[in-house]
Amino acid sequence: METVALIAIAVFLFTYALIVDERIHRAVAAMFGAAIVVFIGIVPWEALLEHVDFGTIFLLLGMMIIVNTARGSGLFEYIAIRTAKLAKGSPIRVLVLFALVTAVVSAFLDNVTTVLLLTPMLLYVARVMKLNPVPFLVTEIFASNVGGAATLIGDPPNIMIASSAGLTFNEFLIHLGPIMVVDMAILLLMMYLIYGRSMRVSPDERQEMVRMLNGLDERAAIVDRSLFNKSVAVIAFVVLLFFIHDRIGEILHIVLPFVDPAMGLEPAEVALIGAAILLFWSRQSPEEIFEKIEWPALFFFGGLFVIVGALVETGIIASIAAVMVENVASTGEAMFIIVWFAAIASAIVDNIPLTAAMIPLIHDLGTTMDAYPLWWSLALGACLGGNGTAIGASANVVVIGIAEREGIGITFVDFLKVGMLVLFVTVAVGFGMLWLKFAM
Amino acid sequence: MGYSSSLIQRKFKDIVGRRYESVLKEYSEFLLTEEEILVPEVRSILVPLDFFVHDITDEAIDVLSAYDATISLAYITDAGVVEILERALDRPSTEEFRAKKEEYGRKLLERTAAKLEEHGLSTQTRMFVGHKGDDVVQMAKNHDMVALSRRYADGESTDASISPIVLRICQRVETPALIY
Repeated sequence: METVALIAIAVFLFTYALIVDERIHRAVAAMFGAAIVVFIGIVPWEALLEHVDFGTIFLLLGMMIIVNTARGSGLFEYIAIRTAKLAKGSPIRVLVLFALVTAVVSAFLDNVTTVLLLTPMLLYVARVMKLNPVPFLVTEIFASNVGGAATLIGDPPNIMIASSAGLTFNEFLIHLGPIMVVDMAILLLMMYLIYGRSMRVSPDERQEMVRMLNGLDERAAIVDRSLFNKSVAVIAFVVLLFFIHDRIGEILHIVLPFVDPAMGLEPAEVALIGAAILLFWSRQSPEEIFEKIEWPALFFFGGLFVIVGALVETGIIASIAAVMVENVASTGEAMFIIVWFAAIASAIVDNIPLTAAMIPLIHDLGTTMDAYPLWWSLALGACLGGNGTAIGASANVVVIGIAEREGIGITFVDFLKVGMLVLFVTVAVGFGMLWLKFAM
Repeated sequence: MGYSSSLIQRKFKDIVGRRYESVLKEYSEFLLTEEEILVPEVRSILVPLDFFVHDITDEAIDVLSAYDATISLAYITDAGVVEILERALDRPSTEEFRAKKEEYGRKLLERTAAKLEEHGLSTQTRMFVGHKGDDVVQMAKNHDMVALSRRYADGESTDASISPIVLRICQRVETPALIY
């Protein structure tokens, strides 16, 4: 093997080890690794611009602007209080409703913001009910990862896959949506079987909880009514645009004949258009909103793309793909390997760097076999694999981190026991459904 | 702190930054703290009434309903006023004034008790001539809470301010006080 290839592998492994350990900020680790491969010429400037997936970065950027602008209106707190009140004092209903709301919100907005804003409310409700909050928190984590897997914009791995493979929002809904609905039902059943017995409260306690929660005024959570309404309208418009982004030209052509009917919008363009509309309409200070953009996350993605690009440039990814092609007999077998490798590896490494490394591999596999089912296998494995360990996905880290700060211990092993069970069951069901669709 | 715990905290810090602190601040505007969640045991609530308290508001009844407590309604006629009248008027006129006051007080007590009982609250009533401030402070010692109308012992003013007697009672009583 050539020296540059060895260096590319060393930088890749060293950076990924730093990301797993996080003693150095993940964005800094990724940028440093990228700097090495650029400095020694493994990834020249022209190739760097090709490897950095600006579709992913601009989609994340646009959604961050929308979410951060909407956040200022109190929208998420409003949703959290309404959900708590709807439960009417029943712990099981709290668990189910918060899981469903988390899943739906995570499907359309980013998982980290969703759990960051719903977890304090969930902890409050658990405290009022005088119940152990752990079952509610772990269910919220799993629901966030399952919900996020259902759409193109729900989870970073899906965004990366869609941008790289040119998949549409509706394709995600068609291929992954039904799987996630089934997985969500199974997840809720599993949580009920595991924790249901510990969630009983007396009628007096239930009455007390209803009284406490009814005392909360969801309207008080809305700090800016006008921004609240505008945020809801723009988010609804953006979601609508996502549904039609690949055939927007056909629709626009009817009212604006000069628009090319073949025109489609990239998901990143939809997000940036939505961000521009919300900023323009709401008159929020752009300085304040842009300050809230998670720049470290964007640089983290950029660095990862360059580091993985070094593996592509040195032919390592192509070699791995060749070995796989030689040893894989059918599409179904390739799907099996990708789903389970992605699921287990993303539970260890975090699903974002795992997906970044897997995308070029699938592109290479696509030269000799149909890559289409493989993209869904990767999305399924990477998103649901995040449920396996406490560090498998960002939502896990956020919820467990909040719990620790509030004095609630969810140990790595405790999470692992339930997480791995959820991982294996949901991935197995999902793989079965994908296999029936693409490999039968 | 074990490795996994410090790992989670490192990752949490890198992913969330300072956003969690701002979320907590936003929530603190309308969520109760741990201390506030604990409902004090309230078995009896004193509700003083007088000529200037015409009704007990629905909002106040909602709050009182939250406790499984007996409501003690006390109608107090100001002893100072009776003394002045006794000095200024003849005995029959004073007696007539007292009788009219007692009649008004009795009707108010009955009406208020009936309204509270409609909401499932148990009540007891009491009527006497005394000092509206001092006697309430004294009686509050035997109750777990005192609920005061902002108009109590004030007069028929139409502004929204709280009666000075009510403020003074709040400063002197040791039990929790609710102003409605």
